[in-house]
Amino acid sequence: MNNFNFKKYAWSKFKQNKPALWSFRILIAIVFIAVFSPFIANEQPLFVNWEGNKLYPAFNTLDTKSKTDSIWLNDSKKWEVIYYDRIDWRSVPADFKLFAPIAYSAEFNDTYNRDFIAPWDKQRYKNENGEIIALPWHLNHWLGTDKIGRDVAAGLVHGAKISMFIGVISIVLAGSIGLLLGTLAGFFGDNTIKISLAQKLMIWIFWVLGYFFTFETNGYIIAETFENGNNTLGFIYFFTAIIVWILIVFLGFKTGSLLHFIPVLKQQKFVKVDGIISRLIELLNSLPTLILIITVAAIMNERSLGILILIIGLTSWTGIARFMRAEMMRIRNLEYIQTAKVMGFGYRKILWKHAFPNAVPPVFVSLAFGVASAVLVESGLSFLGIGVPDEMVTWGSLLSLGRQEFEASWLVIFPGLAIFTSITIFNLIGEGLRDALDPRLKKITNKLQMD
Amino acid sequence: MLLYIVKRILIFIPTLFLISLLAFVISINSPADPVEQLTRAASMEGGVEDKNSAENSVKNEIRKKLGLDLPVFYISMVSWADCDTLHLISDKKSRENLQRLVKKYGNWQNVQNYNSQLIQFHNQVKSVEFTSEQLEISNDLSFLVLNLQQVNHHESIEQNFVEIDNKIQIINNSSLKLAFQDVKKSYEYLINHSGGIHRYLPKIKINGLQNQYHLWLLGDLGLDEKRGKNGVLMGDFGNSYSDNQPIIQKIGSKFFYSFILVILSIFISYLVSIPLGIYAAYKKDQKFDRISSVFVFMLYSLPGYFVGTILLYWFANPDNFVWFPIGGVKDASIYQEKWGVLQKISHQAPYFVLPLITYTYSSFAFISRMIRGSMVEVLQQDYIRTARAKGLSEKRVILVHALRNSLLPIITMIADIFPAALGGSVILETIFSIPGLGLEIYTAVISTDIPMIVAVFTLTGLLTVVGYLVSDILYAIADPRITIK
Repeated sequence: MNNFNFKKYAWSKFKQNKPALWSFRILIAIVFIAVFSPFIANEQPLFVNWEGNKLYPAFNTLDTKSKTDSIWLNDSKKWEVIYYDRIDWRSVPADFKLFAPIAYSAEFNDTYNRDFIAPWDKQRYKNENGEIIALPWHLNHWLGTDKIGRDVAAGLVHGAKISMFIGVISIVLAGSIGLLLGTLAGFFGDNTIKISLAQKLMIWIFWVLGYFFTFETNGYIIAETFENGNNTLGFIYFFTAIIVWILIVFLGFKTGSLLHFIPVLKQQKFVKVDGIISRLIELLNSLPTLILIITVAAIMNERSLGILILIIGLTSWTGIARFMRAEMMRIRNLEYIQTAKVMGFGYRKILWKHAFPNAVPPVFVSLAFGVASAVLVESGLSFLGIGVPDEMVTWGSLLSLGRQEFEASWLVIFPGLAIFTSITIFNLIGEGLRDALDPRLKKITNKLQMD
Repeated sequence: MLLYIVKRILIFIPTLFLISLLAFVISINSPADPVEQLTRAASMEGGVEDKNSAENSVKNEIRKKLGLDLPVFYISMVSWADCDTLHLISDKKSRENLQRLVKKYGNWQNVQNYNSQLIQFHNQVKSVEFTSEQLEISNDLSFLVLNLQQVNHHESIEQNFVEIDNKIQIINNSSLKLAFQDVKKSYEYLINHSGGIHRYLPKIKINGLQNQYHLWLLGDLGLDEKRGKNGVLMGDFGNSYSDNQPIIQKIGSKFFYSFILVILSIFISYLVSIPLGIYAAYKKDQKFDRISSVFVFMLYSLPGYFVGTILLYWFANPDNFVWFPIGGVKDASIYQEKWGVLQKISHQAPYFVLPLITYTYSSFAFISRMIRGSMVEVLQQDYIRTARAKGLSEKRVILVHALRNSLLPIITMIADIFPAALGGSVILETIFSIPGLGLEIYTAVISTDIPMIVAVFTLTGLLTVVGYLVSDILYAIADPRITIK
């Protein structure tokens, strides 16, 4: 057992768990679909050969749909201008057209197949000669259409992209907050860190000042950027402001030590790290999360994915933090940490080099469960029409269309199955990870799943 | 024990305070203008005859009642460049605009000057007598000026200036031209003389009891001027923006259905899942356990709105079966208030079947998994082995010795399930159109009825906290070791 490799051991344990392994494979497939969605569902063909002109419309329109191109048609002896966002490739008399497996994008309105065409119904299109006839098999709406002729299969592909994006990014956000706070709370507890009264005082003062200099005086810049519709830049400004705020607080801490010449302010006091963080977790837990999310979404001027991710991320870190806290409290009292302390290592080294790496692997379990619940929240919100922008097609929004029109059972069943599948595979992966990484965690994670 | 309970209650008070603070922050940050919304709601009721003057007086009354003429909180932190009395400006949009300008250029004096020049110019536009051909242009002009009061981007202000210049050229009125020159000059002065360092100098201002939060929380208590409000603590959440009715009255009746559904569903799911969990744990790793585990796991991953929609599709759809009504809680055309309790229940029962199934199954899955887990653990304990060694019957070992201890963690789960069920009720009540709190918050979100959202948020927060409190106390009763810790 000299060269025991924990990663290899865990992976072999994980592979023994068949449902988890299969879920992992399905997850890879879903991620593949989400990443390559423009080539899986697109009304722009992958390749067109039009009288000697070789075109790659799906690749050309990756960044923007409103592109134009002009080509010389050899046989007809004329210039043809192509407006990619308006052209209906199905009726273009090209020599060879290679369509994506689903020949529609999620937003594409197929005017010939409106009003809930079932997968088994007769579907029509306008062919090269201008006649309206039955669709050839490769252009089929595999899973039917909705009221305005949008393809359900393409909607599912697009929904997979949105769900995975929101689920993963919001859990990365929640995970980083939860890991950091949980680690601090668990490792330091209530009576490890001491700071002087002056430092405490200065931290409070600079905390308020930090807010003043970032959000009070310059917050309008962030608001203005969002109002101009530049969300990416807005989020960059927002996070920069938070980092500046933290730096100012840190500066306050440093300034505090300058005041040590006053004897009263030199008193050392314990910082109740655990107490503060536990209280914060308790507070967030006693808010009904879904109602909080709905409330915050309601007061936002406009709906965007970024805001949704931010809300889900900021409200769902408590489970991970609680988990990490428990792990750290256990590890803190293990003998090797005690030994490291006795040997005179600094807290920073013990924490990040010895304790943290041992506590992290089990956290992946709660991350997997976290993605499942984030996907559930996202689809629930878009089912209500509150979460994502109206024009965006997601699993939840498709399902809500199906609820309004009962005859279109395919609008209920397929998105519902998609949501069900993705939640199930994340839960199964979570269980598999738990068994592989640390079977003793069974009890703790059972509780965390509810958060 | 009593001490423990008192301690728990004391811990919950700051939590409740923070919930109220959060709710208040949400209510003042809403994009909609409450005065506009309430005026609309009031005028829909009828009673506003003379439009302009009456509307203004109604608006002022509403502002007064909502306390919008007061500062926001007990203390506030502003810069030296900020204005102390900005909250006195009545129109929300222009107030926010002025605020933005102050933040940008850091000089309240100049901003005020610019604003008063604008208002003067607007009054002048109104007072000039236009010929009938010019009427359209003058309308455009006042529209542009009003617009100018609501923009702060440099480009859009400049663009508005150019357009107004053009209009004045067409009208060719020299006094307007002069007045507009003043506006432009004041704007130029504003952008060239920014406040500099003043805007980065913080200042703490103490507003005392006369503030919006105090009025919102405690009502007239301690206020100089009585405004006829009781405050949230006394259950006064104000009036709904959509129909101007008192929120608390609207919520009162809704509360019943939500509460009864949540309680019933928790009760039923406990009733089903405790025997199931125990039996599965008893038959651990046998056929029954494995099948029920898979089944329960599938249920656990099924989103409620999917199940609800499928149930409606099968059992409330003329194409399949019409066993249950499609939504609501009663048939208003048949239902009568004078009916006896039994008749009422028998009339309403079919309406509750599908919602209850949907409400119950997910918490059922969760609870039975938990019970199985804790039972399996208890069955491995030494004292169970002792009990078996003593020769007690298997029934007695499981139902008497093991059950009591394995039920402990289940008590705390009420605290987890209760808020989850309340949150989940938003979606489920929308699907089944049950007139409860969830549907209420949904319709409030759709119509941006902020006081309603805030009220439901605060109440559910309160209920959640109470749920935690109850489960803490129950746990302490069941396991006396807790109180000592």
